[in-house]
Amino acid sequence: MPASLRFGYWLLIAPALGAMLIFYVWPLVQVLWLSVTEPYPGLQNYERMFESPAIGRIWWTTLEVCVLTTVVTVFLGYVVAYAMTIVGEGQRTGMMFCVLLSLWLSVLIRAFAWVMLLRGNGVINEGLMGIGLIDQPLRLVRNEIGVLIGMVHFMLPLAVLPIFANMTGIEARLISAARGLGASPGRALLLVFLPLSKPGIIAATILVFVFSLGFFITPALLGGGRVVMISEYIRVSFEETLRWGQATMLSTVLLVSVFLALGLVARVVDLRQVFGATR
Amino acid sequence: MSILKTQYEKDLYPEIADTIDEAGDFQRDLIEIAAERHARGEIDRRGFLTALAGIGALGMAGVPGGARAASGELVVVNWGGPAVEAYQTAFGEPFTAASGTKVVIDGTGPLLSKIRAMVESGAVTWDVCDTGAASTLVLEKAGVIQAIDYSVVDKSKVVLDYAYDYGIANYLFSYVLAYNEKALGKAPSSWADFWDTSGFGGMRTLRKQPNGMIEAAMFAAGKTTDEIYPIDLDLAMGKIKELRDSVIVWGSGSQSQELFRTGEVAMGNIWHTRANLLNRDMNGDVTWTWNEGIVTAGMWNIPNGNPAGTEAAMAFVASSQDPQQQVKLFELMGNGPANPAASEFVPEDRRWANPGQPENWAMQIKQDARWYQADSGKGDLTNDALARELYLDVMSG
Amino acid sequence: MTAVAEAIAPPRKRVRDRRALWGRLFALGFAWTVLGFLVLPMVIVIPVSVTDQYYLSLPKEGISFEHYAAFFEKEIWLAATFDSLVIAASATALAVLLGTLCAIGCWRLSSRAAEAVRLFMLLPIIVPVIVQALAIYRFWIDLGLIDTYLGTIIAHTLIALPYVIITVSAALTNVDPRTEQAARNLGASNAQAVRLVILPAVMPGVLSGALFAFTISFDEIVTVLFITSREVYTLPKRIWNGIQDHLDPTIAAVATMLMLLTLALLLIDLWFKRRRKARLAALEESSQ
Repeated sequence: MPASLRFGYWLLIAPALGAMLIFYVWPLVQVLWLSVTEPYPGLQNYERMFESPAIGRIWWTTLEVCVLTTVVTVFLGYVVAYAMTIVGEGQRTGMMFCVLLSLWLSVLIRAFAWVMLLRGNGVINEGLMGIGLIDQPLRLVRNEIGVLIGMVHFMLPLAVLPIFANMTGIEARLISAARGLGASPGRALLLVFLPLSKPGIIAATILVFVFSLGFFITPALLGGGRVVMISEYIRVSFEETLRWGQATMLSTVLLVSVFLALGLVARVVDLRQVFGATR
Repeated sequence: MSILKTQYEKDLYPEIADTIDEAGDFQRDLIEIAAERHARGEIDRRGFLTALAGIGALGMAGVPGGARAASGELVVVNWGGPAVEAYQTAFGEPFTAASGTKVVIDGTGPLLSKIRAMVESGAVTWDVCDTGAASTLVLEKAGVIQAIDYSVVDKSKVVLDYAYDYGIANYLFSYVLAYNEKALGKAPSSWADFWDTSGFGGMRTLRKQPNGMIEAAMFAAGKTTDEIYPIDLDLAMGKIKELRDSVIVWGSGSQSQELFRTGEVAMGNIWHTRANLLNRDMNGDVTWTWNEGIVTAGMWNIPNGNPAGTEAAMAFVASSQDPQQQVKLFELMGNGPANPAASEFVPEDRRWANPGQPENWAMQIKQDARWYQADSGKGDLTNDALARELYLDVMSG
Repeated sequence: MTAVAEAIAPPRKRVRDRRALWGRLFALGFAWTVLGFLVLPMVIVIPVSVTDQYYLSLPKEGISFEHYAAFFEKEIWLAATFDSLVIAASATALAVLLGTLCAIGCWRLSSRAAEAVRLFMLLPIIVPVIVQALAIYRFWIDLGLIDTYLGTIIAHTLIALPYVIITVSAALTNVDPRTEQAARNLGASNAQAVRLVILPAVMPGVLSGALFAFTISFDEIVTVLFITSREVYTLPKRIWNGIQDHLDPTIAAVATMLMLLTLALLLIDLWFKRRRKARLAALEESSQ
């Protein structure tokens, strides 16, 4: 390609790249920089990370919620993706439609729907009490259960899509071969299909985990101030206690954790495919 | 998150950033209340505007971008919404009638950081600011507000303890124990009852921030009124930890109201103005006790170099001490008159709802803003900052 | 049926293995239960939105559309909808413009550097939203963009950009670079080649990207919570405050309408994709 043409194409890239650098990357760098300069230069903010009982507890809650969410989501997502590979075209379209609708619908609306369903006098509790199954409302929201339900619900499409994309690429003949060699359907599934779908599982796991780590809206609305995850605490430090040094320190740690997780996974699967598959 | 806009200025001045404007949150809430009442037709437009004037929110509706003082004008800044008109009616009009000085209420919010930025840049556009006790202390420390001239302003026209050197109370509000007697079957009368989960079943609500909650915890731990301050944070947090499984937290005033309205909680430590609305909305099912209530004050501050001059600003503050004006604000917005003499002008059937009424006042403790702003001795945290951190830790555990 | 499905589930006449059949039924039942869980909350919103009560509940005595009426009568909701529409439309236009050009440039260069750029542009998907919101908030103060339409539009443009780049890049993988070469050989300029040859070919990807960008901006809440206060008040912010404060059935009505909008957008997107597929198939056929 001639240099002038090459230059022309770089010109096409330049506006987007420039905007990203100026309005996104630069502010990011600036804010992360605050973590070592606020309120005075030094690493005192990072020291607090190990000293403050509040921060320790919040990281612990975050990890706990993320791990639980990831495990449940990937398991459920796998079942749905698998079902999608064994049904006919019509049913598959229906299934895919449910997944996509959920993926596209505003996270806020989804959280709202759950608040409405789960709260003390919400639809579920009223229904259960109406048919006399319980006489005291169950506590389903403003606690960890509520946050988990909301998070799994949000993340599920993000797990189904990469797993399904991977499964459709699995060479069917391998399974036929296993069956031909006398394996039962169960054994063929477990010994051939499952290992082959591993990249999909890994992609889904990491995707869900990474998104859960920095999740904000669902824990804030369904946790009701009782399940405080790292994102919410960053907001509090930033807005309410106005400790910008601490907020930016936690942001840095969060960002680095996300990059580390992605870096680890980049060795196993092609990240472009993972992110391409999310939408 | 309406305070976000000017948060940056707080960030510029970390020493004042440390405080959260407690009164500011409360004032914003009052405005919401008035707007709701207006929407329901409980206050007519005139009354609504009046209410707004009282809190000082008219500036927002009338003068976009905030009011600017012209000569012969006095700008009072408050938290906007219905409060603009309420402040105008309660305080502005009488002052104009008496002095000929036009009063403009600016509802853009007297954020501490903004006051300081104005004073330091020399571009002061506000004469009188509606802040709180803690804010007064912080602004005083920053050296940006004027000492109240007690030869003009009358120290005797304010309840004890709320005439600070650099600020004076303009109204009172309380954290009270509100409860739904119908749901509970009996009435709790103290924070000890509030903490008694076997005697009083069901969920309770506490605020998302520790302010006003840790005092209640101290009472529950058996401390008497004079033993509350200095607050023993370990003790208070221990008590809160005991109760937390029965607690739903409230963030905004309307949320605290909603929790009662939907029956999710039967008891709560909430602002008396919200308890008052609940009492009316739920036909008396929800009521509250003043016993061991935690009362605090909104305050007037005057920035250095205010455009209308010290004299006019002091005159306005003195004028607003008039009991009738304060009762007007009470009727419009629910915040209690700061002048003890106002209690006799409160209509008899409303006296029970006034935090400053002598019989109610006597049952409550006065929140100690000085304690909140004092150094905690841990790191560089004030008691306020430390309490927030510990409270969050306990609540999320 | 996919190839895998055929392999796992042997032809009907050979289904002697009852366990396989039960296994299949179990998997399907389980999957539909999970999908039910996905759809349930959305479905429930609809009856709640027509409740005759003044609080959030299922209809008690009859259905009523008063909460929809409330939405159209109350200025706060209409103003918020207007703000959201203006911001989403502007951010979409900008993101589509920047994103499409960038994707085309990267695709045509197909060098390591261009590949790196494309990956780099995905940053806003990866960075945790709260960190992103904090960074933008802080920088917007310096630029004086807090609580302005322009500031919100720029922020949303950047947040939506990766999605446009992804969809357009995906559409480009199906375009043969030689067609552009051919156009150039026939005397087309650089700009003409892009406008007349590449753009029409990637149009479905561009439209799909536009839908994404619009949805993302229209739904975005966290950054908005930070960078706006009074002047700019978007629909999600109104809903957010509604959920936190007062669960009023108007929110259910808004949610239902948004759901229908999402449904419509999704159908449009599927239609684009189908058309693209059909067109590709036709192209293949004609080239054979």
